[in-house]
Amino acid sequence: MIEILFQALLVTPFLWILFLGLLFFTKLPVPERYLSEGVKYFSFFMALVGLALWAATFAEAPRFLLLDYEDWITVGEYRFKTRFIVDLLGATYAFLTCALIGIIFKFSRNYLHREEGYFRFVFLLSILLFGLIIVSFARSLDLLFAGWELVGTTSVLLISYFYTQNQPVRHALKAIVTYRICDMGLLAASAWAHHFLHSTDFYLIPALVREQHHGAQLGVRFIGIFIVWASLAKAGQLPMSSWLPTAMEGPTPSSAIFYGALSVHLGPFLLLRFYDFLSQFPGLLVLIGAIGFASAAYASLVGRTRSDAKTMLAYATITQVGIIYLEIALGFTSFALFHMVAHASFRTYQFLRSSSLIQDFFENPTVEQDVRIDRPSPFGKYLTAEAKERLFIHALHGFHLDYFTGLLIRAVSAPANLYIRWEKYSMEVDRKFLKRILGRGRL
Amino acid sequence: MTLPGAFVDVLPLGVTFGSAIFSNFYSRENRRQSYAIGLLGGLFVYFTYIFFTRDFNTSLAVHSFFDIRYNKISVFVAALFCGSLFLGLYPSRRTVTLSESFLFYIAGGLGIILSNNLPTFFLFWLFQRCLPAVTIVRDAVTNSTYGGATYLKQHLMALTCFVLLLYFASLRGLLVTPMTEMPVTFFTWPVLLLAFIIIYQSHGLFPFHSWVHDMVGSFAWYETASVFLSRAGVLLFVQFLLPTLKTDPSSFKILILSLSILSSVYWSFRGLSEETPVRATTYFYVAQSSLLLTGLQADAVAVKGSYLHMMVISISGAGLFSILDYIKHSFGLERASRHLGLAQYYPKLSTLFCLFGFCMIGVPLGASFVVEDLVITGILDYQPLLGLGHIFATCLNGILFFLIYSRLFLGKNPFKDVVVNKDMPLGQMLPYLIGLVLLILIGILPYLFLEKLTW
Repeated sequence: MIEILFQALLVTPFLWILFLGLLFFTKLPVPERYLSEGVKYFSFFMALVGLALWAATFAEAPRFLLLDYEDWITVGEYRFKTRFIVDLLGATYAFLTCALIGIIFKFSRNYLHREEGYFRFVFLLSILLFGLIIVSFARSLDLLFAGWELVGTTSVLLISYFYTQNQPVRHALKAIVTYRICDMGLLAASAWAHHFLHSTDFYLIPALVREQHHGAQLGVRFIGIFIVWASLAKAGQLPMSSWLPTAMEGPTPSSAIFYGALSVHLGPFLLLRFYDFLSQFPGLLVLIGAIGFASAAYASLVGRTRSDAKTMLAYATITQVGIIYLEIALGFTSFALFHMVAHASFRTYQFLRSSSLIQDFFENPTVEQDVRIDRPSPFGKYLTAEAKERLFIHALHGFHLDYFTGLLIRAVSAPANLYIRWEKYSMEVDRKFLKRILGRGRL
Repeated sequence: MTLPGAFVDVLPLGVTFGSAIFSNFYSRENRRQSYAIGLLGGLFVYFTYIFFTRDFNTSLAVHSFFDIRYNKISVFVAALFCGSLFLGLYPSRRTVTLSESFLFYIAGGLGIILSNNLPTFFLFWLFQRCLPAVTIVRDAVTNSTYGGATYLKQHLMALTCFVLLLYFASLRGLLVTPMTEMPVTFFTWPVLLLAFIIIYQSHGLFPFHSWVHDMVGSFAWYETASVFLSRAGVLLFVQFLLPTLKTDPSSFKILILSLSILSSVYWSFRGLSEETPVRATTYFYVAQSSLLLTGLQADAVAVKGSYLHMMVISISGAGLFSILDYIKHSFGLERASRHLGLAQYYPKLSTLFCLFGFCMIGVPLGASFVVEDLVITGILDYQPLLGLGHIFATCLNGILFFLIYSRLFLGKNPFKDVVVNKDMPLGQMLPYLIGLVLLILIGILPYLFLEKLTW
């Protein structure tokens, strides 16, 4: 039963994407009404199957289902195994995905009505759904990476949804640079797991480390570091935080689903998937906790200096995800999962309401009574006025995170730039030499 | 002199050379254009057919000095060579005017691919590389433009190395020996060094890569592509160096492995700092093809990944250049703006461009996701730290592609004209779609294709 539900959850979005792709290239005119009707049935079916799967795995928990399908790639002794794990963690995330994407589809029906890119929006969100289902149930790092990349790619394309303006495109570029830098971590973790443990199976890795005393090896520790590194970009944790608030350029429904709900929680999800492995290295847990704490403090301070709703929500999201990191580091994994689900649901609601915030504000009876909404900091009383002012200025500048990142990028690319200058000079010398030999009047 | 029963095998080369010469006397452009594209399509069908049906024992040694052989790798590369050029040229056949020398480029490329010993390879290599050199010298003399100086310098260096290599081979009596049958004892340090320079120079790899800048600026994309698609460096590596690589000093292997990764990183950086879309796309393409050699040097898994990679970048690259060329001719790319916002004019072509790029940079459901998995696994098994270098290079390539895409197709429209749809009709873009479907099929069902890539 569980396997059939899982297969339905995996195959349906894939077929749906193929169908949409075919519609796009064959130029078949699909009126918006029919498309949104189709989307409605599709998302309802997905949410229903997701719920059924979640209920079934909840009833079976803590037992879980391991599924082995045919190898995807076979070359010599190398096998890319198509393996899935259907457990409560994956089923919860998958159900959350199906339910929230269903809500977003419903919301977009009105929000993006007669919008030119509605079809594109539906198509990209469907790919996101497929990617997230893969991530939820993947049992190996290779397979997880496939879903992870799909999520990243759709995220970038949706940030540049309003592609006729320059600003969203620039921010999409910033997002892809951050994603790619951290995706290197996931790719490196997968490759190093192949190399040192000869397996990328989440289910086997902790046992391999425990039984074969691989834990003593530096390479195995690096797998953990790479995983933590990979989780940072999507979760918007330090030092990869600055892209998230700028990613709000896409349509509000996509901001809600990516940066309020699903994509941003993939970082904690990855850590939860690997918790059995990570927990064997206390140093890594300290690192996760420190990153979470620092990110929460940073985003909380910077968020207070922002004046637009979506940016404030973005910083609030980073703060909450930071706290989830801290919970994972402290070993409260079930609580972290609960926190993730609750936060994703609530934040989606907030993002979706942010478009009508002004209307909500004026409809609020407290406005008539001239009651100011003031949020004094609990630590404010310990700081002098001058220190507060300095803190405010630094927070307003995002603690110069972009400046330091720019410095780092310049330092990394300095040798390449130097070489490029030398090469241009050398080519100029060649040209002068050729001119001397073949110049007019010489032949 | 031996003439095998399958004399028909010499026909592709003969017909291409014959028609190249003939077309220069009988030069009606439309007819030459249709003929060249038709010839490429026919050759593609022919090589694909024999790739799947032949037992690959055919050899056409017209003379011991001139040796042409059909083995599986050469037929594979030949099919890719013709197929990719056909895919790129067919959709834009009405907007592009092929140069008189293009058929010679094809003939030279085919000769390089099918040659079996060093003198034959040298002959065709020299012939193909002389074609741009002639244009460069002519331009310098008549127009006082000296843009190809570095091309001439670096090819002169490679030519000297090749002559020295032939001299070393003749000293040992191995001049006409098939490349794959060279004895291990031949590969002394000087020979390895000479081979390294020729291979890296032919493939446009660091530190002998600067000639690529000259090619990009001055020649049509299909001419540059035919130089790259003949894969002279890769073939020389696979047929000449690879059989003995296991016995080569490991320091040499690590040197060439790390240089090809460095080369990819360099081209990516170069592309990131480049404003011109055509140049940036070429740098992206060369950065990708630099990674071909890294896989070939690692282990059996990575080698298979590299062959698949060759297929992916040939098809995708031709698609990218062809789309760019079509836009350049139908609209123009020379505008003073960082973003061109062309997706408004070409919604479907921009999608195709994006998908071809995604198929190259390792996005799942595209063929290069499989490639990356195989190559990185293979390299890591051989040298973990270089594997990380490869991952870094792949990451940079991805960023570069999105930068190119965003500059070309996204952003505010800087043109004052009314936005109209200028896409190709569906029938015209059919070769792109077929190529794309193939790349996605490889990405979804890789085992169907990987089984065939065994030799």
